[in-house]
Amino acid sequence: MPIIEVNHLTKKFGDRTAVDDLSLQVEEGEVLGFLGPNGAGKTTTIRMLAGIIAPTSGNAEVAGWHIPQDIERLHESIGLLTESPGFYDRLSARRNLEFFAGFYAGIDVPARVEKYLKLMGLWERRENRVGTFSKGMKHRLALARALLHEPKVLFLDEPTAGLDPEASQEVRELVRKLSGEGRTIFLCTHNLAEAEQLCRRIAVIRTHLLALDTRQNLRNRFFRREIIVRVQTLTDGMTEAIKRLPFVQDLRASDNELAVQLTEPEQNRPELVKAVVDAGGRIMEVLENKQPLEEVYLKLIHEDEHREP
Amino acid sequence: MSRKRIVNVLFKEWRVLFSDVGSTLIVTLLPFMIIGQLLLYVWLAVTFAGDKALNTSVFQSAIAKLQAAVPAVAGLSPTEQFLVLLLNQFTFFMLLIPVMIAMNTVTFSVVDEKLSGSLEALLATPVRTWELLLGKALAGAIPALVITWAVAGVFLLAVTLMGWGSLVSMVLTPVWFLSLFLLTPAVTVLSFLLGVIGSARAKDSRSAQNIVMIVILPLFGLIAIQVTGMVWFTTPGALALALGLIAADFVVLRIAVRLFQRESIVLKWR
Repeated sequence: MPIIEVNHLTKKFGDRTAVDDLSLQVEEGEVLGFLGPNGAGKTTTIRMLAGIIAPTSGNAEVAGWHIPQDIERLHESIGLLTESPGFYDRLSARRNLEFFAGFYAGIDVPARVEKYLKLMGLWERRENRVGTFSKGMKHRLALARALLHEPKVLFLDEPTAGLDPEASQEVRELVRKLSGEGRTIFLCTHNLAEAEQLCRRIAVIRTHLLALDTRQNLRNRFFRREIIVRVQTLTDGMTEAIKRLPFVQDLRASDNELAVQLTEPEQNRPELVKAVVDAGGRIMEVLENKQPLEEVYLKLIHEDEHREP
Repeated sequence: MSRKRIVNVLFKEWRVLFSDVGSTLIVTLLPFMIIGQLLLYVWLAVTFAGDKALNTSVFQSAIAKLQAAVPAVAGLSPTEQFLVLLLNQFTFFMLLIPVMIAMNTVTFSVVDEKLSGSLEALLATPVRTWELLLGKALAGAIPALVITWAVAGVFLLAVTLMGWGSLVSMVLTPVWFLSLFLLTPAVTVLSFLLGVIGSARAKDSRSAQNIVMIVILPLFGLIAIQVTGMVWFTTPGALALALGLIAADFVVLRIAVRLFQRESIVLKWR
């Protein structure tokens, strides 16, 4: 059941269209990667879905609340991590979180603040002024702020931007943990490796939606799946035997490596391996030649650039 | 829930304001210093100019209006009449205190949030615009009001200590009480709401201060027309003015909410 449903959402700033006719659905508990180049409309989309700016046309439903009609109740159900999270630098981490938690009905503010400060590893620094925090600590604090009211849907805008590798890894672990708790996460990122690690489905936007699918389907759209079989010594007999297999669509042989395209990669792989062994091959390694998500992304963007008049 | 959210904004503003020593000193000490300085000027004027000042037409007109409002003044010497006239101006000088505090505090209340990046996170919470603006305005207005009343008390004490105690009864007129307990709160809230509007329309701290100065400037006119004797506020006049300003507070709050365009603030400010 979709928890985010976007229907023909459009945002114009004067003559410039920032987001054009965007429609998509996000299932409950899903982590959706929302990718696109700078100025593609990612942050504008998040701001519309978080009820901060109004769409020019179209509508959306997030956690059961309509945009733009039910903004106040929508804000009870969502958490937002902005790209540059700001705080009251002269106040302590605890005071900052208590302030933001104070806007939500029916929560035990001190208990909730303690829970999330501990979760983010900031409990020991709770009485320190936020102005003394590192960027990574501020990011963790911003995540705590977004989670205080335990929202069903989290919008994360570049959650690891500007963080060192260790802090980025911590944030990614946290996203996984939150996803494991059943929260829906709308993850806006430039980091394709991050999207690859965290998201099952990926949306690519460049003002309009270019693609929305699983990572594998997106790969299949541009790159055919290949099984790579590395053998100790490659012989002509081995190549001929593989070619004769009915499910082999294409075969490339080079050095001691066979690159094979199969009709049904998952089902045909054992038979392929057996055929190589039967032909006298000593298999060193069998693996799938996966194109990185980055290649898929660049193809999508490139294709769209060439489509433009 | 609205009250809880307004109080939440109010306490946060106080914590931020009072965590800054400079702002705290401006809010608390400066009004006392200004009133002290004004009392010094009154002492100098009475001591060195005395009843000679009454030879000017401006002061003659003002004394005539004062005598009409406070008949007991007619029995005083010219110098004492001049003194009572000057001391009565303090009623309206008190109005300057919240205006001054507003310019030094509320000016930055919205623009700082935007510049620090906290505003976008704040706008993603269930807080309503009017709750946010009223909370910010009250956070400045309440201490400003308390300080104004404290300054008024210190003023009366100083007047007595300076040997003018017998004239205090001619200063503590109904207009004084109306001004202090009705007009001052109304002007205070108005100043802070105008300050919030200025802050919400500005793109940086400097332009926020300029805008606030312009929108607050008309309040100075009130003092000017009384000092020059053009108008002497009688009890009904002061009451009407206070009620008018209270009504203006509600209107300005509505205007502030309309002018606080979340989208424009989030998108255009950098």
